[in-house]
Amino acid sequence: MRYFQQRLLRILLALSIPMAALVVPTMLPAQQDECFTCHQMMDGDAATAFVSDVHRSAGLTCASCHGGDATTDDMEEGMSKARGFIGVPTGESISALCGKCHDDAETMERYGYEGPTGQLTSLRGSAHSQQAGTTVTLLLQCTDCHGAHGIRHPEDAASPVSALRVTSLCASCHADPSYMRRYNPSLPTDQLAKYRTSVHGEQNLQGNTRTATCNDCHSAHDIRPAEESTSSTNALNLPQTCGRCHASAEYMRGTGLPTTQVAEFRSSVHGKALLEKRDMSAPSCNDCHGNHGAAPPSVQSISNVCGTCHAMNAELFRESRHNTEFARLDKPECETCHGNHAVQPATEKLLALDAGSPCASCHGKDRAPEGYRAAKRMRLLLDSLMLTMHEAEVQLDAAEQKGMEIDDIRFALRDARQARLQSRTAIHAFSLPKFEEVVDPGLRIARQALKDASAANEDYYYRRYGLAVVTLIITLTIIFLALYIRRIEQRQKAEHHASGEPTST
Amino acid sequence: MRQWLNDRMDLDAVVSFAKKKTVPAHRHSVWYYFGGVTLFLFIIQVVSGILLLFYYRPGEDTAFESIRFLMSKVHFGWLIRSVHSWSANLMVLAAAVHMFSVYLTRAYRRPREITWVTGVLLFYLSLAFGFSGYLLPWNELAYFATKVGTDIAGSVPFVGGPIMELLRGGEQVSGATLSRFFGFHVALFPAIFTVLLAIHLLMVQRQGMSSPIGEEKNPKARSIPFFPNFFLRDVLLWLIVLNILAILAVFFPWELGVKADPFAAAPAGIVPEWYFLFMFQVLKLLPAHVLFLEGEVFGVLLFGTAMTLWIFIPFFDRQSQKGQRGRLFTIIGLAVIIFILFFTILGWVML
Repeated sequence: MRYFQQRLLRILLALSIPMAALVVPTMLPAQQDECFTCHQMMDGDAATAFVSDVHRSAGLTCASCHGGDATTDDMEEGMSKARGFIGVPTGESISALCGKCHDDAETMERYGYEGPTGQLTSLRGSAHSQQAGTTVTLLLQCTDCHGAHGIRHPEDAASPVSALRVTSLCASCHADPSYMRRYNPSLPTDQLAKYRTSVHGEQNLQGNTRTATCNDCHSAHDIRPAEESTSSTNALNLPQTCGRCHASAEYMRGTGLPTTQVAEFRSSVHGKALLEKRDMSAPSCNDCHGNHGAAPPSVQSISNVCGTCHAMNAELFRESRHNTEFARLDKPECETCHGNHAVQPATEKLLALDAGSPCASCHGKDRAPEGYRAAKRMRLLLDSLMLTMHEAEVQLDAAEQKGMEIDDIRFALRDARQARLQSRTAIHAFSLPKFEEVVDPGLRIARQALKDASAANEDYYYRRYGLAVVTLIITLTIIFLALYIRRIEQRQKAEHHASGEPTST
Repeated sequence: MRQWLNDRMDLDAVVSFAKKKTVPAHRHSVWYYFGGVTLFLFIIQVVSGILLLFYYRPGEDTAFESIRFLMSKVHFGWLIRSVHSWSANLMVLAAAVHMFSVYLTRAYRRPREITWVTGVLLFYLSLAFGFSGYLLPWNELAYFATKVGTDIAGSVPFVGGPIMELLRGGEQVSGATLSRFFGFHVALFPAIFTVLLAIHLLMVQRQGMSSPIGEEKNPKARSIPFFPNFFLRDVLLWLIVLNILAILAVFFPWELGVKADPFAAAPAGIVPEWYFLFMFQVLKLLPAHVLFLEGEVFGVLLFGTAMTLWIFIPFFDRQSQKGQRGRLFTIIGLAVIIFILFFTILGWVML
């Protein structure tokens, strides 16, 4: 029976080789893979898929992963444990097998591969693994994303990790709430839905393979939670991640989009707070543009975006005349005065009427003069407040140097500083009475502080002059007293001499 | 008017006493004036203290604020506080000079033992005034200095714990400590001080100034009338002291510092007032263990014993009682002065 089976197999093999060569002549490896030859005829699926696998074209055989001897046509011999046959690998051993080559640059070089290596190491440190003590367990294996026998290059459109298919692949888990609940219930599952609404997602659907997909932002193997400082999607790293495409003039060529955003952001008040001061409450790219649903805010929605942090400013603006006027003129709300990526610290300079200033672009002596007058008055008030505060500070510093007690005045001046801060919010109402309501009390406090600080300095000199007068009076009294004592004692001496008594008893 | 008062108060007797009263004149007479200077500074303390009381409000939430208000808003409030603080320091200095001059001239010898005992107690009470008054502004430095000071008191074996709790009004320095220290500073200590001072001055008036040993039997010994000669010289010195006090108070006003925060970490460089510095420095330099005692306990016991023995010096110095100038007690006195000066300077340098 066994002899019959072997004979039949040999006949079939003899017939199948020329047939297979006819069907996929170019995919045949140079080295004869006896395992592949039999399995293609027997069960077919795995072997058929392996026909187009990058590993087969690189010269790998079934035995490269499954072990055994691929050179012999004797099934028992080829699949014997003595020849290292391991059968179908399961669990962690799958990725370990892949990692044997892909984690080793030298091995990969032998196959003529010059791309990145270390994928398994990256995967073991990623969010797709769990660490308990020193034990790392992979939550998914290489084959879960790349497939097992039909592995293709990621740039191959048929690969499950290709630009046009990878979003669906990731979503197969990440869009499934019941599945995700097992690993991370707090993670949203609407990433794909949002992505489809983004510019990236729309372009991707249209077949644009250059637009960002999951792995472009999250990386492929080293995916880490955004909270981790080493994550490519951490707020601190995001400008660099987005900038890989958006700051590259070459990559963005043909899109019509500028590539100065990242540089502008770095120079902005937001960028400096985030990247230089490491203030994690400062916005990164995604805070304004969204992450999976990334899109530039429209003219109408800018105040909503900025208003998520600058809530009071946005509220005042919405109630202001400028809101309706900007809408009528189709001007973006916050951006018209503050810019977008290069937002600079909002100083009093913004409230100016010089040529090129935001106010002057609409208001002039003859053009919308009501606003011109209001802006002029507001700036005057603000300059007065700042100047008075500055003068008070100078006087206070001088008084402090002289050792005067000025803590109370400094404490009071904090309210003036607070008024100045509030004025920056109040300006968004674009109403002179509302602005005066905030600045006037601050100005009053600052003037009083200046008066008190000046009085403290004057008091210092008053004390010195007072002391000089007092010490002079005391010194004169001392001299007078000393002379008086001398006179008394001389008189006593003379009296004693006259009376013939001794000078003292 | 004079007659009216004379009928009721027998002023003639007082005038007669003053006319007859004389003060020995010799090469050590200059030391006589330091008692008067101390008294003058004490009077300034009382007057400026009463003025401060008009504004001071004891309490964790009010003490610091009331002093700040006094210094910044009240006319001459800064001057009153500064004068009070400076005159307190000058008073301790003058009292120390007075005490050591009395010691070295053996003025404590019979029949002036009571004057010495009350004088030393008055000096100790002055130190207690300084310690209790230091906390009253409730600033950071005072808070932690009081903490350290009461900790030291707490290290005394057996009675230290209860003493510390009595001083603090609890386990920690808190608002209760402030209330207690205020009570000590303005009521308890002044009451005891007044009694002791009355006895001290009464004894001085009754017994007159002591002449140095050997001077009493000198047939050529001179004296000057108390009125007006000595009294006017006293006033002259008081005026000089007043001038110094005014210059110090105006040019070096006593700073208020930062309000005490019991939850904050102790700032670096916490040191007591200069007159406690030598004790603090010695306690710092003592080894962890001396004999069978902890270093700090040993130090506290040592100072406690020395201070107690110091009160009774007249009774130990038998030679001075016989009118002889013993070398041993001169050596002890000089050793104490050098010890205090050395460790005060060392403490100052090592700040």
